[in-house]
Amino acid sequence: MATTHALAADGIAKAYSTGKIQTRVLDGLSIALEERELALVLGPSGSGKSTLLAILSGLLRPDRGHVVALGEELGKMSPPQLERFRLHHTGFVFQGFNLFPALTAVEQVMLPLGYMGIDTRNAQNRALAALEEVGLGSRVHLRPLEMSGGEKQRVAIARALAKKPQLLFADEPTSALDSVNGKIVIDSLHRIARVFGATVVCVSHDHRLAASADRVITIADGLILSDIVRSNDALPPSVTLPELST
Amino acid sequence: MVALARKTLFYEWRKFLPAALAVAFSGLLLLMQAALMFGIFDSASVYVNTSTADLWAGYPGTQTIELGRPIPRDTEMSLRMDPDVVRVEPFHWIDGDWRGPADRGSVSVFISGIDASADGLMFAQAIPAEMRRKLFEPDSVIVDQADLPKLGLAIGGSAILNGHRVKIVAACSGLRALGGVNIVTSLATARRLNSDSTDRDKVAYYVVKLRPGANPDQVRDRIEKAWPGRRFTVWTKAEFAHTAATYWMFETGAGLGFVFFTFVVFIVGTVITSQTLVAAVASHVREYAMLNALGAGRGALRRVVLEQALWVGGIGVIVGAIVSALLMLLARSQSVPTAFDATAASACVVLVLTIALVSGVMAVRALSHLEPANLLR
Repeated sequence: MATTHALAADGIAKAYSTGKIQTRVLDGLSIALEERELALVLGPSGSGKSTLLAILSGLLRPDRGHVVALGEELGKMSPPQLERFRLHHTGFVFQGFNLFPALTAVEQVMLPLGYMGIDTRNAQNRALAALEEVGLGSRVHLRPLEMSGGEKQRVAIARALAKKPQLLFADEPTSALDSVNGKIVIDSLHRIARVFGATVVCVSHDHRLAASADRVITIADGLILSDIVRSNDALPPSVTLPELST
Repeated sequence: MVALARKTLFYEWRKFLPAALAVAFSGLLLLMQAALMFGIFDSASVYVNTSTADLWAGYPGTQTIELGRPIPRDTEMSLRMDPDVVRVEPFHWIDGDWRGPADRGSVSVFISGIDASADGLMFAQAIPAEMRRKLFEPDSVIVDQADLPKLGLAIGGSAILNGHRVKIVAACSGLRALGGVNIVTSLATARRLNSDSTDRDKVAYYVVKLRPGANPDQVRDRIEKAWPGRRFTVWTKAEFAHTAATYWMFETGAGLGFVFFTFVVFIVGTVITSQTLVAAVASHVREYAMLNALGAGRGALRRVVLEQALWVGGIGVIVGAIVSALLMLLARSQSVPTAFDATAASACVVLVLTIALVSGVMAVRALSHLEPANLLR
């Protein structure tokens, strides 16, 4: 397999078994993704898109096939090596925001940086810059309880962004949000791809997001139905929320 | 590094409070039972510890004061022969039957006949010189003030002791006995109160004061060597106190009860603490999975849980110590025999922190099912 792609999967298959029943989720799927690209993976529930994301990000091992990320084959790594790879190269944004109730926005973002061995002062600078990037510069000392859903998801994006990942994975990041906040979130992800040169893979069933993506991959029953590259060179608008600018 | 463990603990203190309280109460129970047990053991050796005697001579094999038997009168001469011995006085110990006011029935008592002179060795630390002088008056007795209600009398009251009328002339403190009441009289009164006429003039013990600077162990060895056919044994003060405490600890079942109770406290404390910690960890399992997805190793996440367990332990120790100190003051004010030293306190702290740590290790297992891929739903 060529290693020129930032992220490539070749013939990956995955099946889950419940008792004697085996459900085939992915069936020999291949895909190659580039840097500076926001790839949107669209598909209905049960189409295998979340499983695809888990395998591409090294959270799950496929039954068959290979994943090469940043020139390294994930299947050959031990669990601790995979953890290290994820620590230094990947960011995640999940549907649930998964923020620690006790921590302020800036602490949420600083937390993973500490595990990367970054000292407190640098971590704080990076965290503040990342929160600024997602438009939360004035809300850095709020705890999750004091934030709206959209703000929480932007903290989660800042948490992924502050790691300066080459690979960013987002699973249904807008499903818990209204359309305004959903647009802000997808534009933030797009900017991360463009400004920081990351490969962003976003899984969703929300077709409205297609307008903001560089590439739209539709999957159903574990196979790719269509793969459309859009010529969208414009830099997405930076985040400014009406309620924050007042 | 963001102090995740500490910040979560203090932000969600309600979740961790039951664990900290379980630890605190475990510590409290352990400490109070240790204090009560040591207090009781101290009562067992109260005769030894409140006296200024350096050596004790008694019947061979005697394990505790109450089990003393009469020894030959020439023992006193054998002891006096040693050059380092400056004073020898007899100590008379007999059982007694106390009949006070008619509505009280009889009380089982221990009668101590002591040398009532001002420089007497027995109970020198509990009964000051002018108080002991009152014992020269025939048929006068001194009791511990905590025992007055049990005897149903005040100072100046009189009762029938072993068939003789005696009068309480003073009340001291620090002579509370284990399982009975200590009655202190002069040697002459004690002799009259002795119902066993065959041994009336024999005493169970002789207590010895040594020249300042003399080594009690050496003197004991020398006396025992000088009298190979002797029918008495010599103990140093420390030995005899230790013998009494050991007797109560191992021969009466009290020690086994203590070990058993400690075990129960340990198990109960660990179960409650670990359950609380497991619940606290489980409520954040998605956040921990997220951190793991972002690359924080499982070892690092385990350390967060263990750190929380240690915080819970530390806070529990502080709360337990404060409550224990208050209860200890209360116990002292009520003359409940309590005693503990730095060793007992440190042992309790170590045991309690072990409870917290073992609970933490059990709570870490809640992380073993951590599966970040499950976040992708």
